[in-house]
Amino acid sequence: MKRLSLVVFCLMIVVAVAPVVTPAPAQVQAQEDTLTVLCTPQEDWCVAMTQAFEEETGIETSYVRMSSGESLARIRATQDDPEFSVWWGGPADAFIAAYEEDLIEPYEPELASVLAPNAVGVDHSWHGVYVGALGFCSNISFLEELGIDPPTSWDDLLDPALKSNVAMAHPATSGTAFTAFWTIVTLKADEFEAAEEGTGYDEDGMPTQEAIDAAFEYYSELHQNILQYTRSGAAPGQMAGTGEIAVAIIFSHDCVKLQVEGFEGVVVNTFPEEGTGYEIGGMALIKNAPEPEAAKMWIEWALSPEAQVIGQDVNSLQLPTNPDTPVSELSVNLSEVNLVDYNFVAAGMNRVEIVERFDADIAPQPTE
Amino acid sequence: MNRLYPSRHIAEFRRIFQDPVLFIGLVLVVIFVLIAILSPIYAMVDESRTPDGQELFDRYLNSPVYRTIIVNTLRMGLIVAALGTALGFLLAYVQVKVDVPFKRLIHIVALIPIISPPFALATAVLILFGRNGMITQGWFGVRYDIYGLDGLSLVLTLSYFTVAYMNLKGMLQALDPALDEAATNLGASKWRIFRTVTVPMLIPGIAGSFLLLFVEAIADLGNPLVMGGNYEVLSTRIYVSIVGLYNTTAAAVLSVILLVPSLLVFIVQRYWISRTSVVSITGKPSGVSQQIRHPLVRWPLFAVVMFVVLFILLIYGTIFAGAFTKILNVNNELTLDHFDFVINGYGSEAMKDTTQLAAIATPLAGLLGMIIAFLVARKTFLGRNALDFATMLGIAVPGTILGIGYLLVFNQPNEITLPLVGTIEIIPKLTGGRAIFGGAGAIVLVYVVRSVPAALRSGVAALSQIDPAIEEASISLGADNFRTFMRITLPLIRPAFLSGLIYAFARSMTTISAIIFLTTPRTKIMTHQILNEVENGRYGNAFAYCVILIAIVLVAIGVLSIAVGTTSGAERTMEGGA
Repeated sequence: MKRLSLVVFCLMIVVAVAPVVTPAPAQVQAQEDTLTVLCTPQEDWCVAMTQAFEEETGIETSYVRMSSGESLARIRATQDDPEFSVWWGGPADAFIAAYEEDLIEPYEPELASVLAPNAVGVDHSWHGVYVGALGFCSNISFLEELGIDPPTSWDDLLDPALKSNVAMAHPATSGTAFTAFWTIVTLKADEFEAAEEGTGYDEDGMPTQEAIDAAFEYYSELHQNILQYTRSGAAPGQMAGTGEIAVAIIFSHDCVKLQVEGFEGVVVNTFPEEGTGYEIGGMALIKNAPEPEAAKMWIEWALSPEAQVIGQDVNSLQLPTNPDTPVSELSVNLSEVNLVDYNFVAAGMNRVEIVERFDADIAPQPTE
Repeated sequence: MNRLYPSRHIAEFRRIFQDPVLFIGLVLVVIFVLIAILSPIYAMVDESRTPDGQELFDRYLNSPVYRTIIVNTLRMGLIVAALGTALGFLLAYVQVKVDVPFKRLIHIVALIPIISPPFALATAVLILFGRNGMITQGWFGVRYDIYGLDGLSLVLTLSYFTVAYMNLKGMLQALDPALDEAATNLGASKWRIFRTVTVPMLIPGIAGSFLLLFVEAIADLGNPLVMGGNYEVLSTRIYVSIVGLYNTTAAAVLSVILLVPSLLVFIVQRYWISRTSVVSITGKPSGVSQQIRHPLVRWPLFAVVMFVVLFILLIYGTIFAGAFTKILNVNNELTLDHFDFVINGYGSEAMKDTTQLAAIATPLAGLLGMIIAFLVARKTFLGRNALDFATMLGIAVPGTILGIGYLLVFNQPNEITLPLVGTIEIIPKLTGGRAIFGGAGAIVLVYVVRSVPAALRSGVAALSQIDPAIEEASISLGADNFRTFMRITLPLIRPAFLSGLIYAFARSMTTISAIIFLTTPRTKIMTHQILNEVENGRYGNAFAYCVILIAIVLVAIGVLSIAVGTTSGAERTMEGGA
């Protein structure tokens, strides 16, 4: 009796453990019929895009939504056995950094030729899918209470009246926040260059270390007014919408989205007059992707006008990079905004260092 | 807990060898503990001991900024522990010793936080008491900054006081009223009895709750992420290190810094407090305790308790309301969109995945807990206490630490090289989207690890109430250990088994800190999705998720109660007894 129960017990264990222990070759083969997308823009746009792609091609598409910095960290962490095949959306700076680290693979889609030159990465490593400008999204009644006007300059944000009433994301996780940081770097570099040639930009046209340090000084000061660094770039907009804070530093299209989706008359979108930064949302094939063919199909498809107009259905009103795509009248007209000469390559190359320094020196500082 | 002589150890082991099923059970349990609990913790500590790690230790421990963060964390822990224990004590005392109406309501409301997801409370509190809060701004016209320490203290206290409540209620119920009666006979007033008899006997329970709440508070990740403001604590720093920078060394260093107080507290609690238990002389109450009726005591206490109860109901009411309105406090139009999103939209995947994984983990955790309880409470062998301690580490260690440990250990297949066979893979890659089961293996394992300790303690407590003579009788009649366990022990400890299962399911459904680093494209976990929604300000969706999650847990509790049964047939033996 004892022997029998022992044998049965052992068999049970073997049966339970066997499927786990025997190698599963099924995982390794490249699956032609699925696609896993790493998606950085807002979740509803991710859903709409993956559903549309699935309808168009029949490929079973799934995604995970992660902010730009998180995405870069995730790809870096899983580079030996990538979970995703294509990375879609999020500022190009992160893509440039990824290419530097050999995490993405160049691939030239057909429609690359219709794109503006700055929307095409070096060696066709990445391609731009949308463009958006950084702005200030403010809660109208909160500002009235504080007795100040909507900010029209970066220095307006340093107003002591805004103490604990400003929010932006953390540059480590969010591309929006990193764009905001590099914008200040560019503005400081321009300032230095105008005062004395050679102090703002070096021979390659990259902002100097002095410009970067000056930007850190600005953010050190701004930190005193920041309530909380959020994880995702668009989240501060929601905080402004619900009246938790007065001013959010986010992409202007995210502010427009709020206005369209229930916060009409609650928030107002303004831009700094001295100049603001902008993002080119990128897209790239991940190196050693598990589903490379499907990923390439996505890259081709995402540049087509049919794909680029999907954002408008979910109120993601960035500007499309394909000039043939119809533009919504709700989208911000970038010609009316003073854009700085944002050097994406320099931004991408300095990203990791800046983000680590920000996280070490600025983010954990106590506020008075 | 006798110290066994070496020859007895050997004799005991020989006895275990003789029963192959028991031996295999022991081996499996040990393997589980080694692989699922100890190796991740070890891997993480090891990672922090690299040269990079040493440098970071220096930097963090000497930088004033990080010192502030450490102090912040400890301060928050102490405040929450104090408030939570006080609140739990108040409710437990009123529930057991004071004659007030609505006891059932009070009890149920006190238990709600266990089945609710982590930042449900935080988000509701923000909406009610935040800068634009419905109450602070709406009623009082005050823009109150609830972010930071005050908000965190409030929310963490309300989230965790239930543990103190359950602990102290159990102890209060076990107090022997004979002592109270003796004191009354000797002329002491009720207040004097409270001061000199009741409270001293409860000190182990109070201290135990205090320490437990401290550990839970410093390990919590969800609430500081949502309303920490600029009150930085260790758990959020660990989170940013991994998610933003994927700097596992920095995360490991910070985790070790967080681990030290947690382990200290755990060890103190285990070895000092639980040994000085002075609950009562015989361990069984010998009468019914007299409840306090004095109006000057009853009604003020009742008022305070009801205030707390109504406060909690208000918060959960807000969650409920928020699930059904477009944007609570901004656009109060009723809508079912949020539920549509969760049940039909892309939220449904998370709902199904999480419930499935929790459902797989729950019986595993319950059974494993009972087996380990059986081994620990009924058998003596070398390393028994070590086994108990190691299993309890599953919950003593902050969840983030476990998550990072799993990433370090299971992110690639674990292989051993044997001389003749070559390299074989003994544990396949468990984490990440390319792992087997799409990464669900690691998540189920983590769920089990986090739930087994409670099942273990529950099982041990139940077993200590049951006379081993019953099992001995079974063995002397010829049944082996396996049969005895299945046919005698398990049915007798059924209530403990059930509570272990319920706890396992509730815990698995609501945990965030342990799994936040382990989600993959194929495994969407509800708590992680709730965090996404909250962070993006989509409170309506978050609340809908919460309501559905609570509903799922309640249904599961119902199903488990019916399936397992709440009686054990041993009630008479337990109450009567010599």
